[in-house]
Amino acid sequence: MTGPGQDSVHDLAAAYALGALSAEEVQRFEAFLATSPAAQREVAELRDVAALLALGQSEATPSADLRDRVLARIGESKVTPLSAAQRPSRGRVPPLYWGALAASVLLSLGLTLSLGKTRTELTGLKGALAAAGAALAETRESLASRESTLDKLFAPSVRLYQLTASGDPEPGIQLFWDEKRNTAIIHGYQIKPVPSGKEYQLWFIKDGKPVPSVTFTPESTGHVRVEEIQVPRDGALSAAAVTVEPAGGSPQPTSPILMVGELKKS
Amino acid sequence: MPDRAPSPPAPADSDLIAKAAAGDERAIASLYDRFGGVLYAVAYRIVGQRADAEEVVIEAFAQVWREAARFEPSRGSVAGWLAMIARSRALDMVRARTRRERITSSAAADQPGDSPGMSAWRPDAVRALDDAERRSRIREALDTLSPPQRQAIELAYFEGLSQSEIAERLQEPLGTIKTRVRLGMQKLRECLRTFYLEPGT
Repeated sequence: MTGPGQDSVHDLAAAYALGALSAEEVQRFEAFLATSPAAQREVAELRDVAALLALGQSEATPSADLRDRVLARIGESKVTPLSAAQRPSRGRVPPLYWGALAASVLLSLGLTLSLGKTRTELTGLKGALAAAGAALAETRESLASRESTLDKLFAPSVRLYQLTASGDPEPGIQLFWDEKRNTAIIHGYQIKPVPSGKEYQLWFIKDGKPVPSVTFTPESTGHVRVEEIQVPRDGALSAAAVTVEPAGGSPQPTSPILMVGELKKS
Repeated sequence: MPDRAPSPPAPADSDLIAKAAAGDERAIASLYDRFGGVLYAVAYRIVGQRADAEEVVIEAFAQVWREAARFEPSRGSVAGWLAMIARSRALDMVRARTRRERITSSAAADQPGDSPGMSAWRPDAVRALDDAERRSRIREALDTLSPPQRQAIELAYFEGLSQSEIAERLQEPLGTIKTRVRLGMQKLRECLRTFYLEPGT
């Protein structure tokens, strides 16, 4: 029996998989979904049905040069993705990548880099690297005061994870997890402001359940940095996620996940 | 000698993703050759114009390139993942266009739910099928829907409308739309079940 406002799980699962629920319905459904592996399986299957809608489209012919444009765009961002395989002689992250880290850290420290198209640069990081080199020279002194942060980020036991938003490539959070000290630093960029009375909250997913962590609000630049975050111990961490919660945080998530990233301990 | 020997061992889609994750740009070229056409078609269907659809395809492959390392083969098919990315980028473009057209205050929360939650894609959900066969079977499945069911599902998927928005657009009661979406998706799922390898329980 289903009446208005009391839809069955099946009704909601189909619409959820299609992305056709309102924000409020999504919230309700996800709260339920978190508790039901059966519903999670159903949603996964329905999502694939939805994907087939896309894959069933007749192929169309784009401009002949589209392939080259795709590859040119890829070529702009030579820095390989997070867990790219090359191991450098020292440390775990390719040297180029340390440069990228430096660039993003400099950004988060509020040094003035002329980034141009922030988004392209952040994803590509190539331009940021060049800018970071210049900025490093100019600002060596001011960096001294930031050294402790940099030291923490560059410690050999630190690994970087990326939290991304669904449906929107722009905002993101880098999570620097120091496995030895079991602490983390997060650096968010392009983070939208939250309504008053609300804050973002970080969650660690441990043994499949959300464990509440810090709350934060972005600066007007969209950046945010939080240090000395305790990472939960004694359990399998699979992911970190971000939701919007009432100021001060919640013991359990009360809104849909906005950003999520997988965590894999080495 | 038949004109072609049993097809040369082409790399699996997931191998291409792994190569992309390791920084091999040629893998993206191969993925483009396999999926570029269909992703462009999805994008075009959603954004409705050529230049924008091509931009969506570029954005989608850029995202694949950035996030390839995060793709989990154990959680689902490459084809499904690519389709999801292309759809999301295309809907972003439409929404950005709409935003530009009528400046509205935006809160992250008020878009229809597109959140992937924790589990994204089931293993082997979209079995690798010959493209033409795949399309014809999907079309057959779509043909089993009543026109109103199909319309509701397509408005949700290709235009990113919520059920309430669909009801408003079609001037139909919300309950009717919900029923169409549910029954339509059920029907599709039954028809397309043959695409799935049942997951090991």
